[in-house]
Amino acid sequence: MDMFLNAHFIGSLLQSTLRVTTPLLLVALGELYGERAGMINIGLDGIMTLGATVGFIVGYITVNPLLGLVIGAVAGSLINLIYAYSTITLRSGQIINGMALNILAPALSIFMFRQYFGVTTKLIQGTVIKPICVPVLSDIPIAGPVLFNQNPITYLAFVLAILTAIFFNKTKPGLDYRAVGEFPRAAETLGINVIRKKYIACMICGALAGLGGAYLNTCYIGTYAEGVVAGRGFIALSAVIFGGWRVRGLILATLLFGFTDAVQLRFQTILPVIPYQILAMLPYLSTIAALFIMRNSGLAPKANGVPYSREGH
Amino acid sequence: MNENVLQMKNITKKFGTFTANDNISISLRKGEVLTLLGENGAGKSTLMNVLCGLYKATGGSIFIKGEKVKISSPKDSTGYGIGMVHQHFMLVEALTVLENIILGKTEDRALFIDRKGTKEKIEELSAKYGLGIDPDRKINQLSVGEQQRVEILKALWRNAEILILDEPTAVLTDEEATGLFEIIEKLTGDGKSVIFISHKMKEVLNISDRIAVLRAGKLVSEFKRGEADGSTLADLMVGRHMVESEYSKMDIDDGVVFSARNISYNKESKHSGLNNVSIDVRKGEILGIAGVDGNGQSELAQLATGLLDPDEGEIFLKGEKVTTFSAKRFIDSGVSHVPEYRNKMGLIGDMSVTSNLILKSEEDPKFAKYGGWMTDAKSARGYAEEQKERFDIRCSSVDQDTGELSGGNQQKVILARELSLTPDLLVAAHPIRGLDVGAAQFIHDQMISARERGCAILLISTDLSEVLLMADRIAVMYEGSIMGIYDGQKPPTSEISQAMAGKVQEPSA
Repeated sequence: MDMFLNAHFIGSLLQSTLRVTTPLLLVALGELYGERAGMINIGLDGIMTLGATVGFIVGYITVNPLLGLVIGAVAGSLINLIYAYSTITLRSGQIINGMALNILAPALSIFMFRQYFGVTTKLIQGTVIKPICVPVLSDIPIAGPVLFNQNPITYLAFVLAILTAIFFNKTKPGLDYRAVGEFPRAAETLGINVIRKKYIACMICGALAGLGGAYLNTCYIGTYAEGVVAGRGFIALSAVIFGGWRVRGLILATLLFGFTDAVQLRFQTILPVIPYQILAMLPYLSTIAALFIMRNSGLAPKANGVPYSREGH
Repeated sequence: MNENVLQMKNITKKFGTFTANDNISISLRKGEVLTLLGENGAGKSTLMNVLCGLYKATGGSIFIKGEKVKISSPKDSTGYGIGMVHQHFMLVEALTVLENIILGKTEDRALFIDRKGTKEKIEELSAKYGLGIDPDRKINQLSVGEQQRVEILKALWRNAEILILDEPTAVLTDEEATGLFEIIEKLTGDGKSVIFISHKMKEVLNISDRIAVLRAGKLVSEFKRGEADGSTLADLMVGRHMVESEYSKMDIDDGVVFSARNISYNKESKHSGLNNVSIDVRKGEILGIAGVDGNGQSELAQLATGLLDPDEGEIFLKGEKVTTFSAKRFIDSGVSHVPEYRNKMGLIGDMSVTSNLILKSEEDPKFAKYGGWMTDAKSARGYAEEQKERFDIRCSSVDQDTGELSGGNQQKVILARELSLTPDLLVAAHPIRGLDVGAAQFIHDQMISARERGCAILLISTDLSEVLLMADRIAVMYEGSIMGIYDGQKPPTSEISQAMAGKVQEPSA
């Protein structure tokens, strides 16, 4: 058991926890922006896949992974406009449209990838964004490398989380935004443009989901593989529920899922007796367990998932 | 005091082929109370929704202080000093009073919320008009009357000069209503104008400076205070001379059909629970349940129809103790139900009149073929035609979807289905809510004739006049408890309305 307790093991476990938490947190924040305006999007997984592919291709062509990240986010935002138009303007069901994205976006991704690289079994290596090592601070034992030797996107995710918390809790635009997800009709009577807010929400949600996907191929691993997203979109979706639609909850929930993922990755090498497929199930099992615990918390925005029409009754 | 602050000229609003407002013109002066009087569906709320920018008028124009304006969104109307207190409150339950008040477009353009400064200003405004609101409380902790005052405060916060109150007293107890009228007086005294929407004659005569009567989307006539009496207004509102129906009251003891003994359900809740309720409904009588909405009446109706399982206490149906609580068990014992939400619980809107009429009797050999595997469409249709005649259901044909019928005709379909089973107990919740006078009278006549044949009826209504009209005995519910049971023959109305507010006169010892 010694190997579990030494400082290096713990340090690298925590470091990797933050690394795998990053995309979950980004995407969960995106979904929070969506659901606070009443837009449940189960198509996060699909958007992430598109973001990952676009991000990788752009990063590969331009040898600029940062540009890949940006274009990945733009792509996510654009494809989510399909969902937005269909659910907001045409008022069709959010779940079925999210499902459609989950089918459309990965297929589109494979198409684009094969258009560019052809059908190949060769492993294509792209450029990755390197972690930034904050001088001095990163020399602190254990905490140093965990907190101050991370990828810039990891820092971005946590800063964004804090800004989001301030936006929703302290600012007036944040209050107006929440009203759209709670009681859109009331918001409308107070002069808030509900339809516009909902479109903005979808664009933010798509951009963050695309960014989270692009992170996987430009920061986390440098190669492209189909199925790299591996259900992370759905985990992020549950993190929003498990986190009780609050930013602090979201951070804790994604850290929990990230931690289980990091643990199972370590155990795969340490405990080869257990088939790795079983260990790989851990993050998903913890997601289900988390949803059991939350059941119906009553914290959800009241008009979440409900189509809105101005002259409707 | 004669300056017009608002004029609406020739307003028309159409929804598809239906004309909700037909060429209506009204005007409002500074510091006065103008009442829009009319039945449900007369077009009062539609007109006001046009004024506050929620609906776009098909034709007509609006003038504020003599100037023609274009109001295409609530933002515009707020800008012109128009504030509306909707019948269904527009308050976000998860937020505090303060947060609700500052929501949306206001003068305050700061990015961050200044809680302390805002709170002081709100308290000041609240004190000025005697509203008595604590800005830090969450909306879901407030009573209905308090929520209404938050709505008024919300409008005042936006510098409203014209305040629209849409059926404000429908949700209030008598006492709360008196409080509201005092607030209205303070507002008009301060130079603000009020548009008051109602169909309750007494209060309308009391507080209005002018009364505009609307019927079927048209402005019928307009009166100044004191120019018309209640019965003239009532006739104009309905469009014909109304003879108020009167029914004889029964006092018979022919055995108990439904009996609840010390029933409790979710009793911690004041608004959706039952607390130690004991009532009997006798054969051939109507027991009326009076009370302000949301005092456990819904739960009582569900209990009496087997839809919910009590936490404590016993239920007896025709003397037999009930152990299984299911709708089927109750239907099999002859319980019929006219539920409170006719569209959500009473009918399947996407199915035809015929299908809805035989919903409870598909297994009846009259309609079933091949051992119940198929429905005999022809006999079902014939039966539906019969019921259509008997209950005066107005539909294009019995194949029309019930969702397309008017409220009154929907209610007739439900009543036809429920009464055709010749029930021993009929549970009717708000049977005439939202119906016009004619349909309401028909429904009441049918219930009375069911009573004559020996059916026990549990009538639940928030409309006290309906209970007084129909019930042989009257029970008052307040916060889940029965406050008292009164004689329906000579009902002690003031005692009853006191009980509805939770006050029971102690018998002098």
